[in-house]
Amino acid sequence: MKLRYITFLLGLTLAGAGCQKLTEDPKGSLTPGTYFKTASDLDAAVASIYLQLAVDAAYANISNSTPCFGSDDLTTDPGLNKLGFRLFDQLNGNSDADGRLNNVWQGPWTAIYQANNVIANYEKVDAADDVKHAYAGQAFYLRAFSYYMLVRTFGPVPVIDKPLDVDARPARDSVSNVYNLIVSDLKTAIGFLPTSFPGAPGKANQQAAKALLAEVYLTMAGWPLKQTANYALAAEQSDAVIKSGQFTLVPDYAKVFTTNNNSESIFSLQFNVAGGLPQRTFGSSCMPLDEVALNGNSGWDDFYPEINFYQAAPKCARTDATFYTTIKLLQPNRTFKLVPWSSTETHAGHPYYKKFRSGVGDGIVETDNSIISANPSTNKTLDIIRYPMVLLNYAEASAMAANAPTSESYAAINQVRRRAGLADLTPGLALNAFRDSVVQERAYEFAGEFGIRWFDIVRLQLLPQILAKRSNLENPINPAVANNPAALAQKYLTPIPTNEMLRNPQWQQNPGY
Amino acid sequence: MQRLVLMLVMAFVFLDVHAQQHTVKGTVTDEGNQPLPGATVRVKASTVSAITDASGNFQINTGEQASPVLIVSYIGYVEQEVTVNGASVTVRLKTDAHSLNDVVVVGYGVQRKRDVTGATSTVRSEEIVKRPLVRVEQALQGTTSGVQVASNNGQPGAGLSVRIRGVNSITGSNEPLYVIDGYIGGSVESLNPNDIESMEILKDASATAIYGSRGSNGVVLVTTKSGKEGKTRVDFSTWFSKASVPKQLDLMNAYDFARTVNTQFQLSGNPAAFTDAQLQELQSKGGTNWQKELQQSPWIQNYQLSVSGGNTGVRYMFSFNHLDQPGLILNQYYKRTTLRSNVDVKLNDKMDLKVNVTALFPQNRNTQYPGDLIDPFAQATQWDPTSPVRNADGKYILSAQYGSIQINPVAQASNQQVDNSATNLTGTGVFTWRILPGLSFTSNNTYEIQWSLNQQLFGKETSLGMSGRDFASQGNTRYRSYQNSNFLTYRGDFGDHSLTLTALYEQQNRRNINSNAQGVNLISYVNGYYNIGLGSTQLVSSGYWADALQSYMGRVNYAYKNKYLLTAAVRVDGSSHLLDKYSTFPSLALGWNIAKEGFMQDNRIFSDLKLRASFGVTGNQAVNPYATIPQISTGAPYYFDGSKPTVTTPLGSPVSTSLKWERTEQYDAGLDAAFLKGRLTFTVDAYHKKIKDLLYYFQAPFYNSGATYARNIGSVENKGLEFALGGTPISTKKLTWSSNLIASINRNKVVDLGGLDNIVVNNIGSPQSNVSILKIGQPLGEFYGYKFLGTWKAKEAAEAALFGMKPGDAKYVDVDGDKKYTAADLQTIGNGTPKFTFGFINDIKYDNFTLSFMLQGATGYQIYSQTLAYVWGGLGDARNATTQDALDIWTPTHETDNPTFSKSSTNFINSSRYVYNASYMKLKNLSISYHIPESLLSKVKLRNLEVYVSGQNLFTVTSYPGYDPEITNATNAITQGLEMGVIPNPRTYTFGLRAGF
Repeated sequence: MKLRYITFLLGLTLAGAGCQKLTEDPKGSLTPGTYFKTASDLDAAVASIYLQLAVDAAYANISNSTPCFGSDDLTTDPGLNKLGFRLFDQLNGNSDADGRLNNVWQGPWTAIYQANNVIANYEKVDAADDVKHAYAGQAFYLRAFSYYMLVRTFGPVPVIDKPLDVDARPARDSVSNVYNLIVSDLKTAIGFLPTSFPGAPGKANQQAAKALLAEVYLTMAGWPLKQTANYALAAEQSDAVIKSGQFTLVPDYAKVFTTNNNSESIFSLQFNVAGGLPQRTFGSSCMPLDEVALNGNSGWDDFYPEINFYQAAPKCARTDATFYTTIKLLQPNRTFKLVPWSSTETHAGHPYYKKFRSGVGDGIVETDNSIISANPSTNKTLDIIRYPMVLLNYAEASAMAANAPTSESYAAINQVRRRAGLADLTPGLALNAFRDSVVQERAYEFAGEFGIRWFDIVRLQLLPQILAKRSNLENPINPAVANNPAALAQKYLTPIPTNEMLRNPQWQQNPGY
Repeated sequence: MQRLVLMLVMAFVFLDVHAQQHTVKGTVTDEGNQPLPGATVRVKASTVSAITDASGNFQINTGEQASPVLIVSYIGYVEQEVTVNGASVTVRLKTDAHSLNDVVVVGYGVQRKRDVTGATSTVRSEEIVKRPLVRVEQALQGTTSGVQVASNNGQPGAGLSVRIRGVNSITGSNEPLYVIDGYIGGSVESLNPNDIESMEILKDASATAIYGSRGSNGVVLVTTKSGKEGKTRVDFSTWFSKASVPKQLDLMNAYDFARTVNTQFQLSGNPAAFTDAQLQELQSKGGTNWQKELQQSPWIQNYQLSVSGGNTGVRYMFSFNHLDQPGLILNQYYKRTTLRSNVDVKLNDKMDLKVNVTALFPQNRNTQYPGDLIDPFAQATQWDPTSPVRNADGKYILSAQYGSIQINPVAQASNQQVDNSATNLTGTGVFTWRILPGLSFTSNNTYEIQWSLNQQLFGKETSLGMSGRDFASQGNTRYRSYQNSNFLTYRGDFGDHSLTLTALYEQQNRRNINSNAQGVNLISYVNGYYNIGLGSTQLVSSGYWADALQSYMGRVNYAYKNKYLLTAAVRVDGSSHLLDKYSTFPSLALGWNIAKEGFMQDNRIFSDLKLRASFGVTGNQAVNPYATIPQISTGAPYYFDGSKPTVTTPLGSPVSTSLKWERTEQYDAGLDAAFLKGRLTFTVDAYHKKIKDLLYYFQAPFYNSGATYARNIGSVENKGLEFALGGTPISTKKLTWSSNLIASINRNKVVDLGGLDNIVVNNIGSPQSNVSILKIGQPLGEFYGYKFLGTWKAKEAAEAALFGMKPGDAKYVDVDGDKKYTAADLQTIGNGTPKFTFGFINDIKYDNFTLSFMLQGATGYQIYSQTLAYVWGGLGDARNATTQDALDIWTPTHETDNPTFSKSSTNFINSSRYVYNASYMKLKNLSISYHIPESLLSKVKLRNLEVYVSGQNLFTVTSYPGYDPEITNATNAITQGLEMGVIPNPRTYTFGLRAGF
């Protein structure tokens, strides 16, 4: 009896002994072994690439333009919490000042990482070739787009076209090698992608790839590669997009910024506030500090145009829709006092952007003499390629390729000008004058938009001209930089964020930083 | 527990009581008149002895002596000699707080303290009940050498950081391993401090190596109380504490703030923000003190009831505890109810069964603020004092025009609800079978299960609501853990040799399943978080992890003539986390009881003297489950048409498959001495710890995902000395003064980083710059940034101009001399690892009064304070200065080192300007208690009644200008010393009572 009792207890306690399994089975996560089997896997993997660009740590807020504050369409408050912007505005960019620069580095690289994952694996999926290609084409497109952002901002960066070993630390490749990959990826994308994705306007299609390739060629024709043979290629690609007839300009310029995926939208990042993906370059970000909405929210004063940029703007409906020049100051009696931007009653003494205020009805809600509410998050898409860019790329590239503006060159720029409410461009302009007109047109068509103006300044090396016109009311630039062409020439590239430099000890920082 | 074990041991060495002519009967009790079963009674100058029974009674033959002298001893009590003048006697033994003869729990068994070869310290229940403790770790603070305890966070219910012999891991936890009644890795939160009988802190590797891959941070063995034989005892205690934030930051009032905003704007070329009329109005009305608006001074309540008792067959201890702790800021609380049932059953002569069951019901609201610049507590230091809290219509004002961009901190704190509650059940069954004399088998089985519920509500008037992401959510987690330990112990004495052998097989497995449902933009919030379906967007997620450990351990304890001691052990741990499953952890320790040597027998100084030396290898399980398997996570959805979600599955970081546990090799040498019959005790230990295969969650370059991946990258070493001095300087009938001083010195150094010179570490929270660095040759917790030199002075105008700056602008060290402040000028600017910590505890007893106080402190380190940076404005979300120091900025006629507001100046957040000396000494506790005299108590049938008043954190000696030098965001060893808006430790005034029936 007693022995049985003991044996029972002993047996019970030792029951599990020796049979503890030590193998791992991560039931809650996908792993490479359980992944890239079906087209749905591919769908989710491709969506992951877009996600990297659309998050707050990447392009979802105005930090996406940190390196571009050297341009005349962007400046910021001299104090407040805008250090990172201000340093670039003063051509004194710092690789570490406040982390805003990280957005510009992180977004494209993490997209490239996800794109490489898709490109390395899409063929494993059990689906028809055209289905697979429609997905892989987006990966090629997004990898090219990301490299295009990186190479223009930081110059030489490593060309990585497949998954790397965990400890790999590749060297920086030459700028031309980076462009080679961009061009090759975009050609692949053009071959793979359908001309449109019905019901999914956020997906990059073949036209987006052609439009981007045109832009890439145009940039390659400028600094630093100066491969002028590419003008013709740029003209060819943009022409194909124009000829497709898929896009038309939105008649009312202001509507471009209050609608999503409109008729001129070629490629844009999509946002959804409730879904955790807010777009934050609209609304509070561009609202003056001294404006307070009736709902109590005040402006963040992150960015606004430089005074000269506004004053030199052509008089037209587009300019009226672009700039915000009457500041509304909330009075104790809950009414607003309207004062001009240059009034000493305003905080910044600067004009602001009007086109980024509303968003898709969820940014700043206002009337002419009252601000009802102001919010920092909007569902507005971030337009990366709009049809006017294709037209203006064509105008410039076709003129440069032919050594003189053609009638098609004129037709393209005049389409943009007419929509803006401007007269047609003076006919018979010489090549350089025509090109300058196109560049000027781009400055105001895309004022404040995603660094477009800054990258024109970079490819055409325009800093000296820009500085010459800069108002002395702007943030001061150290004369040791402004008056020294060699120092100024270094400002076209942005320093790589300190953290990433430390993770890549063999890299050299860009000169001047 | 110790007594129980001792009784069992004594049962084996039972000595016959010889019945002869003269017999003395008697009773042995403790100071509280409770019977002491198992006490030894000897007749002086004879070999006759007896052991007291369950009621503390004994009967002994004293031979023919007229007035025999009895020597009564019991482990843990002062030995006493009594002369007997009659047929019966009652002996009351005093507890001996400084005895070297105690039995200590050593893990998988017990040992006499004099046989222990490892470095260990003990904290007993008497020490624990003395203070109003909320968390068990508080009992370790200032009481044990080599143990540095900091209350990093003043949020209700917050855990404390406990570091035994410095920090070892930069990735894994540095918290010690808690073993609760044999259950490894038990949660200390689940413990009611009043249920603890004793805690053994195992510090050196010979003591901890028996816990193998989990031992490297030291081990705390917790033994809960057991019932004692005798009549039922009912104990009730309660305390009430009034808590408050001890110190406020010196921030500007509305008038000064407004003036300073004007100055700031004018200096950067903008018009003044406030008119003279507005300034006058602010001056007369005062404005808002946000610190005051957000803070509260709550009452904390604690109730404890226990019932214990038993007979020779069954002993029991049941307890109930309830704690209610509101926070120091609005809408924050922690509540905890614990129930415990500890039952010991003697199954038969050879078998015992112990069953401990606890149920824990914690509940908290908004206690999870991470300590971040967007927390309400930090925001209160950055918010615009010219803004009222509410509008005229009574609604919260949500944003202000000046100061911080973030939401009104009072609105945020009041309107957000993050509610956690859990049900935790832990049952431990210990079966002991004494198979043969000397040979016993023990099986310890614990099953823990926990259901947690996390409910969140962020409505329209919260920061998320303001950005259009108001939501309600509910998360459920079910966790279970099972441990089965089986060990055989053999004890034998062979002449001068005594031997104990232990062999263990142990297995443990854990599993966690969770799900979370979130509704965004609810059409109505009237149902709070109870109706998530009202959300216009629904988000769901779920997760799973499981792991397992299988271990073998063998240990030999050998003693020769009780003088020369040896302990050797090997543990083999097999883990599911690694590809190479099994790792081995050996240890060896030697001890020499010098006091037992012949040449020491006549000395009058030492009553005990022991030398110890040990070496051992332990591990740290810093590798997470599945770390060797590349993960594809499920990310936030993407919306290709702006509205329809598409699932995303981003590829995680690449993984390193050759992962190993961190291995700590530790050498220790120690000396234990007792003088003047134990009235003075002294322990010193020196150690050297080297942690190899240091595991780090390395951030991959962004081209390789930018995510972190585990990698064994290098090594760190800790060298240190620790001292404990205990004594009873005064011991008279009326007055006793006992005192304990502990001190620890630790030097920590990064030795190797796998080929890299340094690693700059991403910050915790939302700050935008990196201030932490791992650097070879430097301790962990190093800060990295620009070295601040104050301001450029008028006479330096020409030099400043080369930097594009003007007098009054911030000046930093330009390391590379290029007349620019760039990343090349970054350098180490301070360190957050304390070099020296100490604690000093005193108990002064006079008659029925006891005065106790405890001083505790740390020196030799700095704090980088983000809070003190942001109050200057111009950083993060802080637009304008709020600190009073901003009234003393540089001007041409008053050249201070506070930079002026300037377009050309750069206020780097990662600068030594925000690094402060954090050395401090605190009066952690001061209490006066009064024992109601027994003469009065017996009339009302009370066994014991004590009332006390006490104060905690009454004063702090420090030059640190922030809230509290003890608090930091020390989430890991690298970022220790960073402070980013953590709620400080409260100052509390407590009164309480303890009653026994």
